[in-house]
Amino acid sequence: MMRYGILLMGAPYSSQAAHSALRFARAVAGRGHRLEGVFFYHDGVHNAARLAAPPQDEPHLVDGWAALAEDHGVSLQVCIAAALRRGLLDEREAARHGKQGHSVEPPFELTGLGQLVDLGLRCDRLVTFGP
Amino acid sequence: MLLHILNRSPATSEVYRQALSAMGAADRLLLIEDGVQGALGPLVECFGDLTGRLYALEEDLSARGLVPLCDASVVKVDVEGFVTLTEEAMRTVSWF
Amino acid sequence: MANDKAQWMEGDLLVILRHGPHGTSWLREGLDAALVAAAFGRRVTLLFMGEGVTALVPGQSGGPLGQKGTAPTLEMLEMYDIDSLLVEADALARFGLCVDGLLLPARAAGPLELSALARTHALVLTF
Repeated sequence: MMRYGILLMGAPYSSQAAHSALRFARAVAGRGHRLEGVFFYHDGVHNAARLAAPPQDEPHLVDGWAALAEDHGVSLQVCIAAALRRGLLDEREAARHGKQGHSVEPPFELTGLGQLVDLGLRCDRLVTFGP
Repeated sequence: MLLHILNRSPATSEVYRQALSAMGAADRLLLIEDGVQGALGPLVECFGDLTGRLYALEEDLSARGLVPLCDASVVKVDVEGFVTLTEEAMRTVSWF
Repeated sequence: MANDKAQWMEGDLLVILRHGPHGTSWLREGLDAALVAAAFGRRVTLLFMGEGVTALVPGQSGGPLGQKGTAPTLEMLEMYDIDSLLVEADALARFGLCVDGLLLPARAAGPLELSALARTHALVLTF
């Protein structure tokens, strides 16, 4: 059993990165490894968009991440600086910035970049998926 | 031994050159997503002599209809094999 | 000597920067990761590779509409004790740049050193 982390930097539906990362995440968990967290950075933060509404015959990647978190206790960490710039705010940040509505909700959590460094150095393996 | 992961086609992007220049003598290279185009006969030569160290993700080949065109020198792995490669390598480096 | 083994960089984190300023946010977000790691006390090596060498060209400015450049961030590296700056020797040649004329003191890394860098750092992030 190894500890894994994933860094995802591609937006869903724009590149294959999110599909590949979610597929890999499932395989890692399926092999009995401990997937500690997925960190969303760069355009990868769009994976946390709770308002994503893909057509029904396409995989719902946002829900896919949430299901992964629920099934395997994986933390879904979204870089707060990268997210705010791109319009991805949780309830607290929306209130802080005086915005109506929010676009990120649990199990996704907005967090600092330090968590990426921590995840990368704490885990036995960090696998990056870029666009 | 490190595992390098490439998702760009050598036909359209020079990123593969960056991957190659960062590879140590025992390192492995896994082609995923559009990177699997590099497993095709003429394009596989872009990777020089990586015999036995060049892998391609089978489901990305398969989704693109490229399995029959995959060069015999390329080792095909499924997603489980992808995980195994990451287990065997000390760490992974992604090129995109 | 670019490939003097005694000089080979080791550290906790290797951040590979492969994009120039302004065109995309890769350089900015890569530098942010490096700064945060350094602020947490990690030893960081920066490798400017390919197009990334243009991040070190002097005389940069902000862009239209107030787009922020990355040169001010680069100038902060020293404050964060990030002084391991490597540039890909081949990329320097390709862009007609000289290691002595760059924005910050850096060292050219030849093919041998490049191929060893990922092994001598615990974590490698590519941007």
